[in-house]
Amino acid sequence: MADVTRRRFLVRAIAVMAGAIAAMVGAPAIGYLIGPSSDRSGSGDWIPLGTATSVQPGDPVLMKATVERKSGWLTDSQEVSVFVSTENGQNFTALSNVCTHLGCRVRWVPDQSGFFCPCHNAVFARDGSVATGPPPRPLDSFETKLEDGTIFIKEA
Amino acid sequence: MANRKETRSARVGDWVDERSGWRLAWSTVFIRKIPKVNWLYTLGSATLFVLVIQVVTGVLLTFYYVPEPAQAHASVRYITHELSFGWLIRGLHHFGASAMVILTIAHMLRVVLYGAYKYPREITWLTGVMLLLLVFSFGFTGYLLPWDQRAYWASVVGTQIAEVTPFIGSWLKTVMLGGEEISALTLPRFYGAHVWALPAILLSLVGIHLYLVVRNGITSIPKKDE
Ligand code: HEM
Ligand code: FES
Repeated sequence: MADVTRRRFLVRAIAVMAGAIAAMVGAPAIGYLIGPSSDRSGSGDWIPLGTATSVQPGDPVLMKATVERKSGWLTDSQEVSVFVSTENGQNFTALSNVCTHLGCRVRWVPDQSGFFCPCHNAVFARDGSVATGPPPRPLDSFETKLEDGTIFIKEA
Repeated sequence: MANRKETRSARVGDWVDERSGWRLAWSTVFIRKIPKVNWLYTLGSATLFVLVIQVVTGVLLTFYYVPEPAQAHASVRYITHELSFGWLIRGLHHFGASAMVILTIAHMLRVVLYGAYKYPREITWLTGVMLLLLVFSFGFTGYLLPWDQRAYWASVVGTQIAEVTPFIGSWLKTVMLGGEEISALTLPRFYGAHVWALPAILLSLVGIHLYLVVRNGITSIPKKDE
């Protein structure tokens, strides 16, 4: 009887220690593996797009900027394209050109006064809201500011 | 309640046992009779434990490490300074490497001291010698991977030493380096050896080594008159 209890105790003790060691390596290992997915480098930065005079009331203008993105130990350049429009030359709205359905690029169709997505025929209105088609939400918009005649957007 | 749970797990155990014979395998490995021995007999198991740590942390390191001259050092720096727990994973692997060498040698000394290499354990000893050489090879190939000054010069010195080998020395050095000197070809081949070739050989040999330990049983502490 005493022998059984001793064996039991040892088995338990070994199991507990093995579990503790596994957790001590396992928990950090999970953090290590999922770590980069929570890296939001560049978010909150102001990106210069171009001069305000290139955007006049009327059709939105596609403006491009190159941003440096850190991915791990490398820095790559990425192109950001946004549709910028204004009603008064003072306040600007900036809409992402990435369709919120499955990520194709939308283009502005002046005749229809809307953004058209070629992939599944979605149409977004001038303000980015969904007019027709499958997209679940309006086009993403960026905060904008005007400084010394240059339009900036804030990276999400 | 506890009882019903026990019978259920026993039933699952029976079901699997009927189809795999795992109970016999388990009891052969873990419930075998051993002589009364001392703590020095745990050195092999300690080596095995650190080996498991090395495998786990080594696999984790490959998720970020890149064996390419322009990126190797940057990826190591990223692991160490920017990645969450990267310092821990790399640290474990780094110090585990030294622990492997120390424990393997200590284990071997125990075997020598107690004459445990004698009949019928010569093959266990032989696989052990190969394991020791492999542990050294791991250390040597792994040392180059961070691709910094220390790594570079250690590999220069290490391959220079290999060059002293009679007759085949300079050929050996060329094969190790993939050329006359350390180059873009050297890093990937050390990496390939370190993460593919050496582990495959080491794990196979550990399998044989442990099979023999179970098959032959372990020695008892020699008596005064032996
Ligand atoms: C990766 C390295 C190694 C591992 C994981 C390993 C593992 C083990 C384990 C778990 C045992 C059971 C008994 C004990 O722990 O003492 C053992 C026994 C043994 N090992 Fe190793 N070993 C390694 C390297 C070596 C080396 C370098 C030698 C000698 C050159 C060696 C020779 C032996 C012998 C002869 C036995 C039988 C001892 C006896 O029956 O008392 N091993 N090894
Ligand atoms: S991706 Fe734009 S409509 Fe499907």
